[in-house]
Amino acid sequence: MKTLTRLAGAAALGALLAGGAMAEGLYAPNLAYRTGPFAATGIPLMNGQKDYMELMNARDGGIGGIAIDFDECETGYSTEKGVECYEKTKGKAIVTQPWSTGITLQVLPKTNVDEIPILAPGYGFSPMADGKVFQWAFNTPLSYWDGASILIKYLGAQGDLKGKKIAFLHLDHPFGKEPLPYLEAAAEAQGFELLPIPVGLKEMQNQSAQWLQIRRERPDNVIMWGWGAMNAGAITEAVKTKYPMENMLGVWWAGHDADLKIVGEAGKGYKSVSWSFPNPEAPIMADLQKYVVEPGKTQSNAEEMSGVFYSRGLVISMILGEGIRVAQEHAGKPEITPADLRWGLENLNITEERLDELGMTGMVPPFSTSCDNHTGHSGGWILEWDGEKFVKATDLIMPDADMIAPLETKAAMEYADANQPWPVNDACGG
Amino acid sequence: MLYRTAGQFKTSYKSDMALFPVRQDAVLLMVILGFAWVVFPLTASEFAFQTLLIPILIYALAAQGLNILTGYAGQLSLGTAAFMGVGAYACYKLVTLFPWMNPVIAILLSGIFSAGVGVAFGIPSLRIKGFYLAIATLAAQFFLVWLFEKWGWLYNYNASGAIQVPNLDMFGLYVAGPQASSIVQYYVVLAVVTLMTLLCINLTRGTLGRSWKATRDMDIAAELIGINLMRSKLTAFAVSSYVVGVAGALFVFMWRGAAEPNLFDIPLSFRILFIAIIGGLGSILGNYLGAILIVGLPVMLGTVPQALGLPISSATVEHLNIMIVGALIVFFLIIEPHGLARLWALIREKLIIWPFPH
Repeated sequence: MKTLTRLAGAAALGALLAGGAMAEGLYAPNLAYRTGPFAATGIPLMNGQKDYMELMNARDGGIGGIAIDFDECETGYSTEKGVECYEKTKGKAIVTQPWSTGITLQVLPKTNVDEIPILAPGYGFSPMADGKVFQWAFNTPLSYWDGASILIKYLGAQGDLKGKKIAFLHLDHPFGKEPLPYLEAAAEAQGFELLPIPVGLKEMQNQSAQWLQIRRERPDNVIMWGWGAMNAGAITEAVKTKYPMENMLGVWWAGHDADLKIVGEAGKGYKSVSWSFPNPEAPIMADLQKYVVEPGKTQSNAEEMSGVFYSRGLVISMILGEGIRVAQEHAGKPEITPADLRWGLENLNITEERLDELGMTGMVPPFSTSCDNHTGHSGGWILEWDGEKFVKATDLIMPDADMIAPLETKAAMEYADANQPWPVNDACGG
Repeated sequence: MLYRTAGQFKTSYKSDMALFPVRQDAVLLMVILGFAWVVFPLTASEFAFQTLLIPILIYALAAQGLNILTGYAGQLSLGTAAFMGVGAYACYKLVTLFPWMNPVIAILLSGIFSAGVGVAFGIPSLRIKGFYLAIATLAAQFFLVWLFEKWGWLYNYNASGAIQVPNLDMFGLYVAGPQASSIVQYYVVLAVVTLMTLLCINLTRGTLGRSWKATRDMDIAAELIGINLMRSKLTAFAVSSYVVGVAGALFVFMWRGAAEPNLFDIPLSFRILFIAIIGGLGSILGNYLGAILIVGLPVMLGTVPQALGLPISSATVEHLNIMIVGALIVFFLIIEPHGLARLWALIREKLIIWPFPH
């Protein structure tokens, strides 16, 4: 009988949930991770995302006159929990924000059937840029291939890459392997030697073997594709082996203030590519202080709010907010459907003027999307650690679109072929 | 009262040896099967299918495979997840190399590869025992996960290194991949799990099962009464890995839809071992009870605050969840160290002699 009552209870609960009470406003869930091995990097991002939406609700009464019901579903970065969250929220959600490459891979094919836009700013699968194939997926404003391209372009500007040796220290995981196709193509085209060095998930905190290899091979540069505990591990190990910090560069997820604070002065010269930058002078920060921090609606603190990751969280929610606004204007009503939001995210035009209006001047490079370009390829800055904080080291660098676009189209077609039947948006020109 | 056995006379050997000698057991099973085959599919929501029904069945099947090896034959294994991985990767290769193959056949065939690998890693069990064998299976765990990462042919040289389930159809109906509906996947899983359970129950009751139990209880005595230890241990490894491999193929093809190598890492092995231990080693029913407790309960607990409208943040819910499930595991192990199946057996016994306890 025990089994029975339990299973019956489960079914009853499930049924209850399915027909659960509709909350007021637009339901925009976020598959957050404030627990688990990556919590340290997750919390500032989640706080930034949440605070932006809190600000919208408190200051403007939501977006387009309708409140945003921004809700978090905790995944702990576990794919299993992520899928559970997706199933739990998809009934009334207008968007899915999966927040891990693993969850993105899993949810990506399902969104095509469930018809919910998947918003993965700065992560996920680079070929998602091809909006014809990946109709429902968005990885604005930069993909990993773009990021790798910006890094290579920056290095190229420092001196000819021909004959140089570049080590690619990456997490041995779909996320870390993501830029490899681009880097391999770039190595062939520009004549440098690429040395991929994988770091297993279990070795993240102890990378002595990898750094021994780096010491032996003496690469001219190290490009790091790390996340969570791997970054701090690599940076402390680099300092220990006395690898020249100015030759080490990372992806935007490897530019976390707290990771560099551990080494402080010794980390001077470390660089990371980024599509977001904190601007403490921006009007939005004052508004956040007034409408969110002072009424006690935030879980963040002053130090975290001045960091790169918190401001990236703000930018991510801004992208969603703008998508909602554009969709509302197009649909002519505030209560938009997921399909409307997809249109909105496809027709984003984030200009300098719009950023000024939003009070986010200089926090993200301007970009625009279209139905066949779901990334926007905004370009990014190289940030440099000055011993205390990240500062902009360069002006905006644009990715090498000529080289990336054919790679994207090819990979997208391969994905579609492997997942037949896969609906392709032929109505989309370009 | 409910379980009174008075008046149920066994008049033939056949009825005495029946799978369910007590009529109420058979009725109860029929009710459960009725729920599983008819009531749940009619009432369950997409969420219930994807987070409760399908995973519970798959985890229960994996635990059942492990239980054959650890609970019945007494060989401790920490490599369950890796054997699941073999099943999943074998199934992936089968459906991509032979796209015309019926997916259910592919799932059942993939268990054979897993059984082969299981036997290979089971050979050391002839010489080493107990904790030392656990270490040997741990080696399988590490080696196979490494292999899934490094052998590009296994994942068709995908850039991401992950396997993605394609859309597979059977008689015009999608059974796997993103186009498949949950209810179809549930029925496929249920059919395979029912079949495997029937197989396991009968195997453990027969000659093979008895020789496993003899090996478990005292291998020297078993050898003295004429049981071939090599045969007994290796068949346990083979059958166990077969069931685990099928569970692994179901795990990826009928539920997850995609898998990266580190999915099959040691936390999954432990999870399945916990299901088998908490459910009850050496029982079939226990695997289901354990899976409900370990896989189903956290999901149900997670939905409670929202259903009641309590304003608790989802991170707090997650922390509370871990604490509650952890406490329950300790509680059940204290009141009945032999697992939930034994707890049910005690309850049943009490019901049979009720109202005359002794």
